[in-house]
Amino acid sequence: MIRFEKVNKWFGKHHVLQDIDFHVAAGDVAVICGPSGSGKSTLIRCINRLEPIQSGDIVVDGMSLTDKKTNITRLRAEVGFVFQQFNLYPHMTALENVTLAPLKVRKMNQNEADELGRELLEKVGIQEKASAYPAQLSGGQQQRVAIARGLAMRPKIMLFDEPTSALDPEMINEVLDVMRKLAFEGMTMAVVTHEMGFAREVANNMVFMDEGKIIETGDPERFYTHPENERTRLFLSKILSH
Amino acid sequence: MWSFYFSQLADSIPFFLKGLWMTFKISGISLVLGTILGFCVGIARAGGIKPLRYLLYIYVDVMRGTPYLVQIFIVFFILPEWGIQLAAFPAAIFSLTLYAGAYICEIVAGGIEAVDEGQTEAAMATGLNRFQRTRYVVMPQAMRTILPPLVGQYVLLIKDSSIVSVIGLTDITRVGWLTVQRIPEGIMVFGLVGILYFSICYPLILLSNWFERRLRAQGG
Amino acid sequence: MLSTFNFRVIWDYMGLFLQGLWATAWISAIGLTGALSVGIIACMMRISGKKFLSAPAIAYIELIRSTPLLVQLYFFYFGLPSLGIRFTEYQTGIFALSLNSGAYMAEILRAGVQSIPGGQVEAGIAFGLNYLQRLRYIILPQAIGVTIPPMLGQTIVLVKDSALLSLISVFELTRASQILTSERFMPAEGFLTVAVFYLLLYYILKSLSGWWQRRLIHRQA
Repeated sequence: MIRFEKVNKWFGKHHVLQDIDFHVAAGDVAVICGPSGSGKSTLIRCINRLEPIQSGDIVVDGMSLTDKKTNITRLRAEVGFVFQQFNLYPHMTALENVTLAPLKVRKMNQNEADELGRELLEKVGIQEKASAYPAQLSGGQQQRVAIARGLAMRPKIMLFDEPTSALDPEMINEVLDVMRKLAFEGMTMAVVTHEMGFAREVANNMVFMDEGKIIETGDPERFYTHPENERTRLFLSKILSH
Repeated sequence: MWSFYFSQLADSIPFFLKGLWMTFKISGISLVLGTILGFCVGIARAGGIKPLRYLLYIYVDVMRGTPYLVQIFIVFFILPEWGIQLAAFPAAIFSLTLYAGAYICEIVAGGIEAVDEGQTEAAMATGLNRFQRTRYVVMPQAMRTILPPLVGQYVLLIKDSSIVSVIGLTDITRVGWLTVQRIPEGIMVFGLVGILYFSICYPLILLSNWFERRLRAQGG
Repeated sequence: MLSTFNFRVIWDYMGLFLQGLWATAWISAIGLTGALSVGIIACMMRISGKKFLSAPAIAYIELIRSTPLLVQLYFFYFGLPSLGIRFTEYQTGIFALSLNSGAYMAEILRAGVQSIPGGQVEAGIAFGLNYLQRLRYIILPQAIGVTIPPMLGQTIVLVKDSALLSLISVFELTRASQILTSERFMPAEGFLTVAVFYLLLYYILKSLSGWWQRRLIHRQA
């Protein structure tokens, strides 16, 4: 479903992604972790070309990102994205946040879009906040609206970029619960997170990145209990100690 | 003497009202056109295609770096030499529109750049194209920062429209200038002219302040 | 277009243009000094908290901001003589220019003063500093830092506004091109040349403002 082939990316002189090979099969959940500055957010942002790459190729649902014929706007509609800072539109209600893309990109009529929006808000458990503005919602509620927004285009893939790191601790679970539900429904997902419990429960594949390279991959059980690489071990000991 | 001039001035009131109407027409038309132009080039500049961007920088600098008086002389006296004959009224509209567009461009580009990058990314990620992102996500948010300085700019432009009197358009300022030749009481004549401008500009200043207070109350 | 553009004439009149440039520079310099003096006084009156001081300051600022400079210029040019005040054109022009920019300077200063956190003023009160001492040692040193860029912006406006003085026959840069136009009827040569001179002044002031802003950011970092 998602395939990276020898992907390289630079920010100026800084080589942020180095020869990345990586793939996520349909229905799989890949969890990517690593220290800050390791390139994990960049990697996930490349998948819907929020960041361009300089060499190599990324193929998403059979469409190559480097192919000039690929309609990037259409590809983005197939891929939902959830940001660390939510990035909800502050001038729209929760429902309007969800229905904007279906209305404008899918050209749905208002009734269909509203129905879809309410259904998705119900799915993330905040149907009663449909007419609230982002500023009136807690962080956890905002992030759940953002997930509903990501789902609104009926994507085949959902990407999550540290979805819980901007949240107060007591709100993390309400967001993870929604993500778990999606994973069990068979959504293909790539998630940048340090939430170990979540990873162990739903991930098919763990990826550890450091300094722009993929250091280690594997199934979560073995990854957490017997990491092969020294750097992985060091990193895990740091995040597990608190 | 004073009362004599005063009654003479009172007789000239219709003339002043005609001047007021001319000021309304000139500033109204060029503000509308200037706003359209300013939004177009402001959005284009914030959107950032490199060569276009530099071209727009030059345009804005030239308009902001030279007196409007010199600009209107250039439009009125030089264009005819190049075969573009403009009567006073269209020359005034044309030059004032270009002038307004440059200032409004700066305000619009600034407002757009103040919108968080994450907003554009979120809109991109849901598949909205460039036009849709600008129209539905970026501009509604940018408008909040754009409005107070935009209205403030309108005040400056209405005041600058007084300069079109030098190419012979009978706006309020020129009516004052013509009247003072007959009624040599500068304080009275230009006092009246001032009152007329004040009655247009001051409400707009209050409006701009109100927009700004509202913006600050919303914590933007 | 360029084929008809007569560089020779520009060169012949260069002395006149440079005189005009010089006149614009010193008119602006005096106008700026006047505007700063008027601005500081009006700002202090406005924030004094005493109605009999702040009310006239507000009236002055709002009246100036709501009327065009050209009308203010004519008001004094045609009005002062009937009050028995005999100013030269230069004096009238610089007087109007100072009063006009002074109102904007007052508002820029006020914004600068208001940008200082109230806690600092309270600290000054707690240390027993009186109003003037607080102004001198706490408020002004900080206010000046943030007000320099908008003040330079207002200076740019002032330099350009000084072109209007040509309309009451003050000799300066724009007047120089009007002279060229009336003597030789060559408006293109005249007005485009002075436009270049104004742009030169604009870029000098703009880069000064940019330099100061970079300095300000460095100091805060």
